[in-house]
This record gives sequence, structure tokens and C-alpha cells, in this order.
Amino acid sequence: MQWFDAIIQGVLLGGMYAQYALGMALMFGVMRIVNIAHGDVMILLSLIAVSLAGVLPVGNVGLIVVIVPIAVAVGWVLQKFILNRVVGADPLPSLIATFGLSIALQNLMLEVWSADTRSLPNSGVASASFQIGPFYVGLLPVIVLICAFVLTGGLDAVLRWTRFGRGLRAAAADTEAAAMTGVDPKRIIGGMGSIWGAFLGAMVLGVAQAVGLRIDPGLGILFGHLVFLLVLATRPEGIMARKK
Amino acid sequence: MRTELTGDTPILSTHALTGGYGDFQALFGIDFHILPGEVVSLIGANGAGKSTFLKSVFGLLPVAREMVRYQGAPVGGTPAHRMVSQGVAMVPEGRRLFLGMTVEENMRVAIDNARLAEGQGEWTRDRLFDLFPILREKRRQPVEDLSGGQQQMVAISRALLCQPKVLLCDEISLGLAPKVIREIYAVVPEISAAGTAIVLVEQDVTLAREASNRLYCMLEGRITLTGASNDISRDDIAAAYFGASHAVV
Amino acid sequence: MSTIKNLHVSRATPSSRIAMSLGAIVLVGLVTMPWWATSGNIRWAIELCCYIAIAQMWNLLAGYAGLVSVGQQAFIGVSGYMLFVLAQNFGVNPFLAVPLSLIAPAILAVPTYFLLKRLDGPYFAIGTWVVAEAVRLGISNIDYLNAGAGLTLRVMTQYSQHEREVAFVILCALLLLTTIGGSYWLLRSRHGLALTAMRDNPKAAASQGVNVGKLRFYIFVAAAVGTGFAGSIYYMAQLRITPAAGFDPFWASMSIFIVMVGGIGAIEGAIIGALIYFFADRLFGEYGSAYLIVLGLLTLIIALYARGGVWGLLQKLGDHPWFPVRRKLIVEE
Repeated sequence: MQWFDAIIQGVLLGGMYAQYALGMALMFGVMRIVNIAHGDVMILLSLIAVSLAGVLPVGNVGLIVVIVPIAVAVGWVLQKFILNRVVGADPLPSLIATFGLSIALQNLMLEVWSADTRSLPNSGVASASFQIGPFYVGLLPVIVLICAFVLTGGLDAVLRWTRFGRGLRAAAADTEAAAMTGVDPKRIIGGMGSIWGAFLGAMVLGVAQAVGLRIDPGLGILFGHLVFLLVLATRPEGIMARKK
Repeated sequence: MRTELTGDTPILSTHALTGGYGDFQALFGIDFHILPGEVVSLIGANGAGKSTFLKSVFGLLPVAREMVRYQGAPVGGTPAHRMVSQGVAMVPEGRRLFLGMTVEENMRVAIDNARLAEGQGEWTRDRLFDLFPILREKRRQPVEDLSGGQQQMVAISRALLCQPKVLLCDEISLGLAPKVIREIYAVVPEISAAGTAIVLVEQDVTLAREASNRLYCMLEGRITLTGASNDISRDDIAAAYFGASHAVV
Repeated sequence: MSTIKNLHVSRATPSSRIAMSLGAIVLVGLVTMPWWATSGNIRWAIELCCYIAIAQMWNLLAGYAGLVSVGQQAFIGVSGYMLFVLAQNFGVNPFLAVPLSLIAPAILAVPTYFLLKRLDGPYFAIGTWVVAEAVRLGISNIDYLNAGAGLTLRVMTQYSQHEREVAFVILCALLLLTTIGGSYWLLRSRHGLALTAMRDNPKAAASQGVNVGKLRFYIFVAAAVGTGFAGSIYYMAQLRITPAAGFDPFWASMSIFIVMVGGIGAIEGAIIGALIYFFADRLFGEYGSAYLIVLGLLTLIIALYARGGVWGLLQKLGDHPWFPVRRKLIVEE
């Protein structure tokens, strides 16, 4: 029974990872860029949200409404002034540029917000939980999982069913051929790995860590890494890739 | 106002076009034209500059503005996606399909960016599915599951769904079985009957002669022979194709 | 009309002769340090030598073999741990244990390469980081290695300070000779041309008969051993190793910073970068995060605007290589 509980906790943890992974998957899929600073930008936005919470009396949901436009602005600046300049066949410039940005951001955040743990004012959501049969499930992780699911589905739909999405995938598959088919390569940079692959990968990682943690408290994270290496060794094209 | 182009006015032409890759010059003053609805083939050995020529015309390689004219207006150096919206499309060498996308999604990308909406132009998915029935069957399959010939059909359909007035075809017979090549070339007359001018870049001289009204032969970045496909003798072609020193084959 | 009397191929240039002489002087200076320098200065020299070696190995990987690794700390850590185990648990002479400890990175490098070789560019980089983290977490869970608390090299107390310093400077000289000298030798050998071709265009190089896969494999293993060598010396000088320090991703960050700032794809670049980093660290390290912000931004700016780094900028002023790898035809009239 405790293994089943570990799997549930793992899936919920995976929901959080999936949200992280989604942006990464999109960026890598479209521009073939591994953005090392992705996590740092995420933390930066979280810290801005925490600071705003002290100033704006809008509540935690209102905070999301405020933070999303800020996130869009940060993303646009990042894209316009850094990423667009390092996109290319050679992965090194983008890796180095985002690495430098990551170091700078981390330390900037350390200067501004110090190293203390911060949290939003508790509205009860964070600690609320409910019981399903013999299992206790946290409300917040469930909300996170649902959000991850909706976001992944939404992004998948955009890529699949819209003109923009198709252009994006075409450009990712073959930028020049996309231009020959009328897609403006400046408007769309480069497609799409598997969005659901990122979601599934996040779940597998979450479950592996939760199960590992149950076996030995020291092994949790290691289990995640080992699963990653196992996938590399057996299916380097990714969990969701189709066999040719 | 744009004048209606008919008769002897070329829809696409090049004038002393030079070009190449970076420091490497591959084209030395190419004069070329094609009339509306005409089928013109461009033959030449490997490395003669045929693909470079198409890429230069299509805005994939830098050329001076005056070197390329489309419907009488200078368009040299216009980026490929703008050429598409003006009515020039290309079937690239090696097909270059969007892997990971289905047959129909590949077509949709062209429809999304075409000169005219699907219903208003000459070409619709249904018409192409009639032309290549196998594609209707496989419309929901990823393109990487298709055979080489079927992929070539998708590449041609994709280009036609851009609703072009001029279609540039780069070696569409390459690597295909003779039976499949015949199937693919069988649609050339239908395309030209729809009013679309076609430039066929080919290595196979016999195929190129049979399919076209006129032909150009290229050697080392220059046009060495041009004329009506029926009038030119095999010997003349051999001389132009391989160069003077190899004239006797 | 003049006649050509003699033709010969030369690679030496005036700048390279000066550089070689300076290099020899620096090496002699390094080895004699215990007799003229303070212990503090010797510690600095050891650290600097390790930085140069680690950076040069990363340069060989990323700058020539096209293998961008962010997990070189795996080799630093395993080699350090191997040294501590050999010297402390098996009673091997610690200075003899340094070369023996290089077996560990060599052994780790082989499966790592075969696991990751199918991955291109960014995937490869992520893979190396995951391997390094997995090794770190694995070692943190081994009780024999004292888990997260790490090991201490108590056997070093049997040697006097002077003895230790003499051994350290000799090891450092060997480290520089093998990493810098080895890279130079490699780049001047027939593999050098292949490597340069590979860096510029792997596909074209493969079509010209260069066995890209094999060459990459050898370089990956060689770089692992070279990096491990520096790791062993570094942690022997520290007398302590923990999983958190030995497998610190900081090692990868440092390599990237040094090579990018100095100039990627040039031996000179790694040396210049290491010197800049070392002295910047001494001068500004006390400013903590503000210093690191500048460092990060500097890396970003170089990636955006000056891909050749400091060495690339110097090259624009005039071609004066310290380690010429190109051949030059000399015509005497």
C-alpha cells in the first residue's frame, strides 16, 4: 500500500516538474536552444510575485493575473536581445550565453532577495489536503497537476490546430523548407519535440524520485537521474518517440 | 496597375544573373526566361549550377535586385517566403518535407501561407488527392512513413497548394524508380494546363526533353545551349552538356 | 630573376619561440618554487595550474571535438576519491597514488561516452551533467566513502611541509606538460588537421576520411584523464574531499568561463582565460555575488559579441601565435 502512495505522490511531484519542463520543451523544440537560465527566470518571477504580494492586496489569484504579463515581458526581452542572437546550428553560443545569464541572475537574486526561503501569505490552499480512501492528497499539488495537464493540452492544441502552431512545427523540422512554403522564418524561429513527451517524462521523474525516497531517503533524487540515464541508454530518441 | 501578362511576355526571367556561395562563384551571367503556362527544363551535369540557379532565383542565395524579374518587376533577393506569397513556389531537392507532421499537416502549412485561399486558387487538397490517390489514403500518416515516391507527391502537392504561377522543381526524379518517375511526370501537363509555368531541373536528358516545351543546358555556371526541346539534336545536347572537348560521345 | 634556393616547411614563428622560452622559464620557476616562494604562493600556483589544466581539457572537448560537456566535475571527483582511497585506505604512497588514481576517470569515461555519444549538442551537454550528478549522489550514499561527510587525507602528515611542496610543484609541472604539451602535440600531429577539420565541419571531415567517432572517443577519454589528474592534485593539496566539493558543478562553470573569456579553440585562450579568472577571483572574489554577476554578464556578452574571446581579439591585432599549429612554407631566394 505504501508503494501505491509513493506513486501518487510521485505523479503529483511530476505535475510540478511538468510545468517546469513545458517551457523548456517548447524552447528546445522551437529553437533547438537549451536555456540554462530557464529555472532562474522561473525563480526570478516567483520572487517578484512574493515581493508584490507584500505590496499589492490582490490575493494569490490576483497575483497570477499580475505576474503573467511580467513573465511575457521578461520572455520577450530574453528572446529579442539574447536568444535571437545565438540561435543556430552550433549549440555552443546559446549554451554559453544562457549559462552566463544564469550565473548573473542567480547572484543578482541573491543580492536583491538574499538566500532566505520566502513564501506567499498562506491562504489555506498550501496546507489543505483531502482523503481518497486510505490516501491523503495535498490540494495544492493536485491544482498544480491539473494546471500542468491543462497547459500541456493547450499547448499541444495550439501546435496541432492553429496556423501559428503548424508554421512553428514546420520551421522546427526544416527552417529553409518552411520558408520555401511561405512561412516567414523571422516571425517563427525554428517546431516541436513532443509536448506530451515532456509531460510524461516529468511524471516518470516524479514517480522515480518518490519511489526512491521510499526505499532510502538518500536515494530519491539519484533514482530520477538513473531513470534518465536508463532512458538514454535504451531509448535515446525519447520516451514518446515513434520507432521508424 | 499590373498589366495582364499574355503571349510573349515572360512571367519570370533572369538577366546576366551571377551568384554562388560566399566567395565561391557558381553562376556567370545567366539569361533565362519562362512564359506563363510554359514548361521549361534546365539540364546539366552534377555541379553545373542548376540548383544554385534555382536558389538564387528563389531568394535563398543573395543576388542583385535587377537580376531577377517576376511579372516584369525586379524581385532579385526577395526572401523565399515573400516569393511564395507573390506566386512562385519550389519543390526542393531531396523533398524536404516537415518530418513529424502528417501528410495533410504538410499540406496545411502551404495552405496557411498561400497566395490565395484554398477555395479561390487553382489547387485544393481534393484535387491533389484525385491526382495522387494514394495520398488521400495516407493523409493522416506522418510523412516519414511514406515511400520516396509518395513523399515526392507530397512535396509537389505542398508546392502547388501555395497556388503558384511559377513552379520550380529541383530534381524531382532523383532516386526514384522509373515507374514512379513516370507517375510523377504524368501530372506535369495537368499543372501547366492549369496555367502554371514550370521550371524542371533535371539530370535525365531524355526525361527533360519529353516533358518540356523548351530547354536550357548548363555547364560550369553558364548556359551553353537553349531552344525548343523537339528541335535540338542529341549531339548538340551532348556537346553542351559535357563541354566542347567532350563533344563527340 | 631570382632563383629559389631552398624550400622548407616551418611552424615556428618569432612569437612562438619567445613563448616557448618563456614557457620553459615558467616551468623551471615553478619547480624551484619551494626554494624561493612562500607556502601561500605555492598554494596559489597549484590552484592556477589546476585551473589551466581543467580549462584546457574542456577546450579540447568543446573547442575541437565539438563535445560540450557540463559534467567534467565527474572526473575531478572520482579521481580525487580514488586517490584518497588508495592513499588512506590501502596505504599506497600518496604521490604514487596520483597517477594510479587516473584509472578512475578513464574507466568512468568509457561507458559515459558510449551512453552519450548518440546525443547531439545540447542533449550531450545535459547528459554529461546528469552523469556527474548521478555519480555525486551515488558516492554520497556509499558508507565506505563516508557518504556525504567525505574523506580526509591524514597520511599526508607523515611528510614535512617542504617535502610536500616539492612533490606538489613537480606534479604541477607534469600536469601542465601533459595537458598543455599533450594538446599541442595532438594538434600538431596528423590528428590535429583532422581535429581542426572536425571543429569546422564534422560532416565534411567524416566524408574526407576522418574517423570522427573514434577521434571523439579518444579525446573524451584523454580529457577525462587530464581533468582527473588536476582533480587529484587539487584535492590532495586541500587534504579533504566531499561529494559536494569534488563534484561541484562549479568546476564546469569555471571551465566554461575560462575558455570562453580566454578564447575557445586555442591553447592560448585557455591559458589567458585561466590567468584572468585566477586574478579576478583574487582581486574581486571578496565582493561575492556582485563579482559573480559581472562574471556571468561578461560570459553572456562574449557569447553574444566576441565569440573568440580575449585571444580572438588579440589575434585581430596581429597573428602572433604562442602555439602555432599551422604550417608555413618558407622560400629562400
